[in-house]
Amino acid sequence: MLSPERLSLPGPEYLAQRHVLTYMEDAVSQLLENREDISQYGTARFFTEYFKSVRQGTHILFREFSFVQATPHNRASFLRTFWRCFRTVGKNGDLLTAQEYHCLLQLLCPDFPMELTQKAARIVLMDDAMDCLMSFSDFLFAFQIQFCYSEFLESVAAIYQDLLAGKSPNTVIVPTSSSGQHRQRQPPNDCSPLDGVEASLFYQCLESLCDRSKYSCPPSALVKEMLSSAQRLTFYGFLMALAKHQGINRALGALPDKGDLFLDPAMDQELEKLVAQVSGLSISAPTSSSGDAANLPVRNLPRISSPWKPLHHRRKMDAESEGSNEETDSSEN
Amino acid sequence: MVPSKCRPGRGPRAAPGPVNNCLQLVIQTSSIADKNKPFEFRINKEQSSFHNRLLQHDLEKNYSGRQDNTSFGSSSSITSFPVLQRTAEEKILNSDRLTLERQKLTVCPIIDGEDHLRLLNFQHNFITRIQNISNLQHLVFLDLYDNQIEEISGLSTLRSLRVLLLGKNRLKKISNLENLKNLDVLDLHGNQKDVDTLPCLQRLFLSFNNISSFEDILCLADSSSLSDITLDGNPIAQETWYKHTVLHHMMQLRQLDMKRITEEERRMASVAARKEEERKRESHKQTLLKEKKRLTICNIAHQWEIQQNRVALVASLNPDKDNEPCHINGSAAYVFPEESRSLDTILSSAVQGLSVLESHLVEVEGDTLYLYGSGALECLDRNWSVQTAGTVVTVSFMFIEFDEIVQVLTKLKIKFPNFVHLKFKETNLVALQQFNALAQVNRIEQLTVDPQGNPVVSFTLWKYYVLFRLNHFNLQKINGIEVTQNDIVMAERLFGILAYVASSELPHYRMLSLLGESRRKQFHYLLEGKGKKSGIGNEESNDNRRAGGESTARATLNYTTKDFHMEKLEEIKERKTLCQTYIENLVKEAADINMKNESLQKLWPQMFIELVRDAVIEIRNKNSYMKLCLQRIADQK
Repeated sequence: MLSPERLSLPGPEYLAQRHVLTYMEDAVSQLLENREDISQYGTARFFTEYFKSVRQGTHILFREFSFVQATPHNRASFLRTFWRCFRTVGKNGDLLTAQEYHCLLQLLCPDFPMELTQKAARIVLMDDAMDCLMSFSDFLFAFQIQFCYSEFLESVAAIYQDLLAGKSPNTVIVPTSSSGQHRQRQPPNDCSPLDGVEASLFYQCLESLCDRSKYSCPPSALVKEMLSSAQRLTFYGFLMALAKHQGINRALGALPDKGDLFLDPAMDQELEKLVAQVSGLSISAPTSSSGDAANLPVRNLPRISSPWKPLHHRRKMDAESEGSNEETDSSEN
Repeated sequence: MVPSKCRPGRGPRAAPGPVNNCLQLVIQTSSIADKNKPFEFRINKEQSSFHNRLLQHDLEKNYSGRQDNTSFGSSSSITSFPVLQRTAEEKILNSDRLTLERQKLTVCPIIDGEDHLRLLNFQHNFITRIQNISNLQHLVFLDLYDNQIEEISGLSTLRSLRVLLLGKNRLKKISNLENLKNLDVLDLHGNQKDVDTLPCLQRLFLSFNNISSFEDILCLADSSSLSDITLDGNPIAQETWYKHTVLHHMMQLRQLDMKRITEEERRMASVAARKEEERKRESHKQTLLKEKKRLTICNIAHQWEIQQNRVALVASLNPDKDNEPCHINGSAAYVFPEESRSLDTILSSAVQGLSVLESHLVEVEGDTLYLYGSGALECLDRNWSVQTAGTVVTVSFMFIEFDEIVQVLTKLKIKFPNFVHLKFKETNLVALQQFNALAQVNRIEQLTVDPQGNPVVSFTLWKYYVLFRLNHFNLQKINGIEVTQNDIVMAERLFGILAYVASSELPHYRMLSLLGESRRKQFHYLLEGKGKKSGIGNEESNDNRRAGGESTARATLNYTTKDFHMEKLEEIKERKTLCQTYIENLVKEAADINMKNESLQKLWPQMFIELVRDAVIEIRNKNSYMKLCLQRIADQK
């Protein structure tokens, strides 16, 4: 807790880096919004719940977009919630268009902008045939890159354009507006846009960008590793590679590996219960059998680095009234 | 002809027999054979006398040879009409009759020296105009049956004419018969015809004339003398209203289709005809109303189209605005392809011409309430009779923005409590979350969302989402297709986790703010009593489901219209600035205190040493210190 690096930053900068103030402000704002209800059970409890939900990543549910994109943690939480809620859609195998994914996003965040979804779609479809159908996993990973690293990507686009135009890589690169991503200026030199830019040169620019940038960026080591394998690359090729890179995915920590994308035994259990209710079957029979099977992988979950998963798991376990799960819970502790 | 001379006529058939004083108009097809009987084509020897009657006459003494004695020379003089002459014997034999049947005549020949002719027969020729008979002042019987006469003319001098047979010609109208005051029988059957008014017309035979509408012979109603009419064989005779209409309009008739008309029939006919008229008037009114309705709907469609395109224009001007709520951006993605969607079939130039047209339409037809155009939503403020409102089972919305419909759903619930079926067409449904708004109605059993004007229908999963979100209603049909148990299970499978997450993972205070008033009480009870266990939650949702209410799980999935959302965002922004300043102050204070604390930490050792040093220096000399203390006490006074 009291590590020296934490104490080395002056107060305000520390707060800003950890986005503490954002959450404080939001907490007070929420308090004001719901003061009649909250006054009934006390502000202390409210703050407890609020920060608990922040830690668990559920605070972004049905919130406005400006809040959802405010901090990297919010973005990652939103992504994770989206995955959990609509994993079943992906598992079902439906291929959907960008607009349909956007609708699903809107179910969780009513004013989510279409622009972001379309940019994500562009990554998947390599800027071609925007009405194509996309699979859930493709879209989700591309969306992750687009959403979590939006500002970084804008800067990269600007760098790419400059490199294509043949400008020196050492000039100060100022992130242009988002329209920079769409413009395709004709480069005066002889390398065509299809060939892209030279990988090593590109990496140098990216490295300096990552050092300077105050937005979240992918870890430069991983980027270097990615770029080392290619000689030249295009912008969308780069983005696609970013999206598919599992190391970066793990670094973000919001989503599981691609192979495990459709696995979520805890949720499957809940789902079975709900489906059983709907179809009018008895509840006990299906869940007891799946409950045992679910326990084994559940025990392995804490090894994933994401901070909130075990907490959620534990919280859910508290709620469960089944005896077997309580046993495992205590054994974990 | 003076009316007093009129006497009821005898047989209807045209006959060269005794003619009556009254005019008989024969316009009827009797069988040709009958007709021909009096005019047999005599090819045999006896005909030779007929042929002998015809002589070649050539003004220039050119005799063109012919097989028989019938010869028509073509005069090369002023007229090109053939001139006819008969032999003297023939003249004596049939001094007053002349038969020129089937002579392949194309024009009426000039008949020389026969001024006392009384019967003239031009049957079965190809004569196109009645000419050259004006000199036959004594003509009583003129037969021009089966020719090609297009116009009645050239008869003005035939004052003695009593029988005029013009059947099977090409007459288009009856005219130029004014001078024929003695005309008794006029046969006009087998022509294209229009019957003009004729004075003293008593009997009119119009069988088999292809009269198909009563208007054609309406003029007959004005004829006060008409007492006898036959209209069989015409299309109007097949109509149900034939007899009544005829009798009603022609009160003076005594016989219709050769059947005497009784008083009873006449009376009934009057009544029936009046009813018929009313029915026609009614249907005419209905047609007018329908037309007006159609035009109104066209107008509304037109305005809707403009409105949608305007949205597209606006959206295209602001493509980069991130702050723009996604509704506009969402619809922009759709309105572009739909710009080409043409309502040309609906738009007609008539719509453009009409300047004063309604911009909305409300209609209750059977058990359906139709609402066209956004202005129609105001009708919900009107007072509807309980009976009408109670019968409405279906509500159909067209050309109204869905967001506007959402705002009046509560009113709709109150005014029309019995509706179970909602139909949406051209209502700009673009997002799945808009269906959340339908959860607030009392009951839905059927939902119809027409693909036209509702982009959301193109989504693969829209039906499942509807089933999921509105599962407490137990929808029976969506877009006319029955909902199966599999569909419901599928919907739950796809979106069940969303409901779970939405309910169990929201913090309490968020739950309360998202749910409605009624829920809060339920939720409070839960909070206070049992605490949050998913088992209880399930119980509660089961209860709700049984009671037909919504499960709390889904209740959090709300839909706020764009306007509401903007308002909320405004509020949030204001609050945010307030909170920001508040927190800033707190932070500043805390930073200040922290800084002071740190400074104190840094400075304190030094300060402490100084304090101790000062004190030690002071007390070093006991005597001087005692003096100093005393002085200090003295000074204090």
